Amino acid sequence: MAILKVKRLNKAFGGLQATNDVNYEMQTGELSGIIGPNGAGKSTFFNLLTGYYKVDSGRISFQGKDITNWSPHRISRLGIARAFQVSNIYPALTAYENIRQAILAQQKRTLNFFTPAHRLAKKETQELLEVTGLSQHADKIAGTLSQGDKKCLELAIALGSKPELLFLDEPTAGMSGEETHETMNLVKRLNQEMDLTILFTEHDMSVVFGYAKRLTVLHQGSIIAEGTPEEVRKNETAQKVYLGEEA
Amino acid sequence: MIRYGWLGLIFIATLILPLVIGEYWIHVAVEILIMGLFAVSFNMIFGYMGQLSFGHAAYFGAGAYATGLLMVKTSVPLPICLAISMITAGVLALVIGYFCVRLTGIYFAILTMAFGQMLYYIIFQWYSFTGGDDGLQGIVPPDWIIQVTAYYYFTLFIVTGALIVMWVISESPFGYTMRAIRDNADRTRFIGINVRKYMLINFVVAGMFAGLAGGLLGPFNRSIAPDLCNWHQSGVPVFMTVIGGPLGFLGPVIGSVIYTFLFAFVTGFTEYWPLTIGLVIIFVVLYMPGGVLGLVKTKFKTIGAEESMDAEA
Amino acid sequence: MDASLIFAQSLSGLSRGMMLFLIASGLSLIFGVMNILNFAHATFWLIGAYCCYTFWFLMQDYNFALWISIPLAALTLAALGWVIEVVLIRRVYNRDLPEQLLLTYAMVLVLGDLIKIVWGVDDKLIARPPLVADPVFIFGMPFDSYFLFVISVGLAVAIGLWWFLKKTRYGHIIRAAVFSREMVSALGIPIPRIYTGVFALGIFIAGLAGAVQAPVGSITLGMDMAVVIQAFCVVVIGGFGSLLGTFVAAIIVGEVYAFSILFWPQGALVLIFVVTAFILIIRPWGLFGTPTRA
Repeated sequence: MAILKVKRLNKAFGGLQATNDVNYEMQTGELSGIIGPNGAGKSTFFNLLTGYYKVDSGRISFQGKDITNWSPHRISRLGIARAFQVSNIYPALTAYENIRQAILAQQKRTLNFFTPAHRLAKKETQELLEVTGLSQHADKIAGTLSQGDKKCLELAIALGSKPELLFLDEPTAGMSGEETHETMNLVKRLNQEMDLTILFTEHDMSVVFGYAKRLTVLHQGSIIAEGTPEEVRKNETAQKVYLGEEA
Repeated sequence: MIRYGWLGLIFIATLILPLVIGEYWIHVAVEILIMGLFAVSFNMIFGYMGQLSFGHAAYFGAGAYATGLLMVKTSVPLPICLAISMITAGVLALVIGYFCVRLTGIYFAILTMAFGQMLYYIIFQWYSFTGGDDGLQGIVPPDWIIQVTAYYYFTLFIVTGALIVMWVISESPFGYTMRAIRDNADRTRFIGINVRKYMLINFVVAGMFAGLAGGLLGPFNRSIAPDLCNWHQSGVPVFMTVIGGPLGFLGPVIGSVIYTFLFAFVTGFTEYWPLTIGLVIIFVVLYMPGGVLGLVKTKFKTIGAEESMDAEA
Repeated sequence: MDASLIFAQSLSGLSRGMMLFLIASGLSLIFGVMNILNFAHATFWLIGAYCCYTFWFLMQDYNFALWISIPLAALTLAALGWVIEVVLIRRVYNRDLPEQLLLTYAMVLVLGDLIKIVWGVDDKLIARPPLVADPVFIFGMPFDSYFLFVISVGLAVAIGLWWFLKKTRYGHIIRAAVFSREMVSALGIPIPRIYTGVFALGIFIAGLAGAVQAPVGSITLGMDMAVVIQAFCVVVIGGFGSLLGTFVAAIIVGEVYAFSILFWPQGALVLIFVVTAFILIIRPWGLFGTPTRA
């Protein structure tokens, strides 16, 4: 079943066509990646899908429902979550409170005026802290965490929303080689064990290898290649654009 | 636990206060309580939600006029008047807030100020209903609290109850959502929260408690005037909160104590109160950005502001 | 309601609008360039009026007293603005909005009382110099000739500012600084000095406005309070940082005021607030502002 369908999506900023007639589909349970050099339009694509930007034209549907131009909070409630490229956490709250906030929102308990928040969602918050390896930082103010930990927290918050579809915008940016592998292993486990459909972006080809089942190459707003990682690696257009840029 | 010990002591102190101070200072104490409530309600928008409202006096004034008019023109008992004050202020906050929460930052500040001034001028002009700039005179509390000490305990009871309710709200999931909105409104949208709706709800609740404070003021002063709605009155809770410290729940109350004492003290021997408070604010802004609470927090980690220290192990 | 009444009110509105423009232009400039909303702007305006009075008082035996006092007062205010920027305003550039607003609000209180201390509580009156003592006749109707002076000063400042910002090197630097502080400082031009200069210029204009206002009626304490909110409304309606916007909005507000005096005298201010609120709701950056601001 196609969990996500994107048809002829367009978005321009001034004279710049950031998203150019993009068609995209994801099946439930996929773990796929979108790659492209900086400026290819990956973040714009996510911003359009999550309601952060309004589309110029095109349709986005999730589980058969048309969500084009829906506001971010409505899209989120349907079961789509997002981890941002630049850590978009709550810097003044503790890591624990960061995650708990997402969980409480998902449990629809945020209009609760009278129960002390520290009594709620304890188990679920602890679980997510463990899964993302942040247990020992639970009481640290999020703004003081290291870059890598902030990325993990970012992921934890996204998971707190109990999504069915998860967008990860450059999840390993700023991480060391070891951290990158840990994170991508986690992503793989989430996909396989928790049945989470995951789409991530990356501009480093070597990272996606071994993790994504399907890759899409974005260049200047258009899709120029699509297929398994093997196929994409052999694709001439992709090579020209990608390796030409990287050389 | 140490925190609750301190609070308990302070509460007992407030209970025995009238026995040890003169009548003039009991008056001051009532004013501290009322303005403290007003300032804490303001801080729901400022400290917890992160927006500066320069028109919060609109709800204070609306509450004052609601109770005042009912007491002067009808024989509705005071507690019911206060409830109606809260509802009136809440409805006003709903209407005004609906527009204001679409903006943030400087625009939010100016729009709240503009609406506050609008209400001020409307009350000012509507002579036939509100008495215009003559104000409303002859608001007399019921016999059982007409004596200032009795009014003090009445106010203490209501204000304490209101503060407890606001405290509970600030510690609830809703309260934490407000903090989240202040810290990162964008992120909060992406976890499924309609930020505008929540800001409006918070705005209304804050307005209701400001209305309650206003309602308590009328019978205390025996009269009210349109000035209660203008932007100078709106500045008072801002000052109190900044002096006391916006990041702690009781910060505004501390600010109210300091401000009101200072006012009573300074106006006793000079007319240059604006100069005094202006200099104090400049000093606090430049050298004590976290207010008194901020200063204290860096010295003693127990007196409460952020609850994370008490998080379950 | 006849044509001459409409004409008279329009001229009155224009004069009022010019006065508001003079006050609001400095406010808009300061906010546009430095992102500081100067609550005390009208208080500086009032100090300008009082300074003009003092200078005039010292020279009142001479016919040219007023004409010299006005520029003197404006220059005094420029110096005052310079000092205050360096001593106070500079310290809150890196702070959050609430702290900046509180600082300028506290300045209103401090300066207000300082006016009281220096000049006392009595109203001050400046006698009209002979040049503008008699009314001027337009289309057979008498008009206060001083009004015409006010209107000309307003136009002169508007044109002067426009020319300064669009045609001179300093003006270009200031406009560049609005868009990118980093670029301008990377070019070796010190941003702090630009800010001090802009603030002083803004206060100079406010002082000039106050001095020009001084002979109209009497100078009283608390005049700044009545005016500051109107100045805010003008800046909001016109758009922060837009000179054209401030000019147009000032004329609009002036005319709205002049005409509502005829229909609904007490409602003039309410009407202005309604317009301001309306603009904030549907187009917060004002008629001529740009959405990227603030």
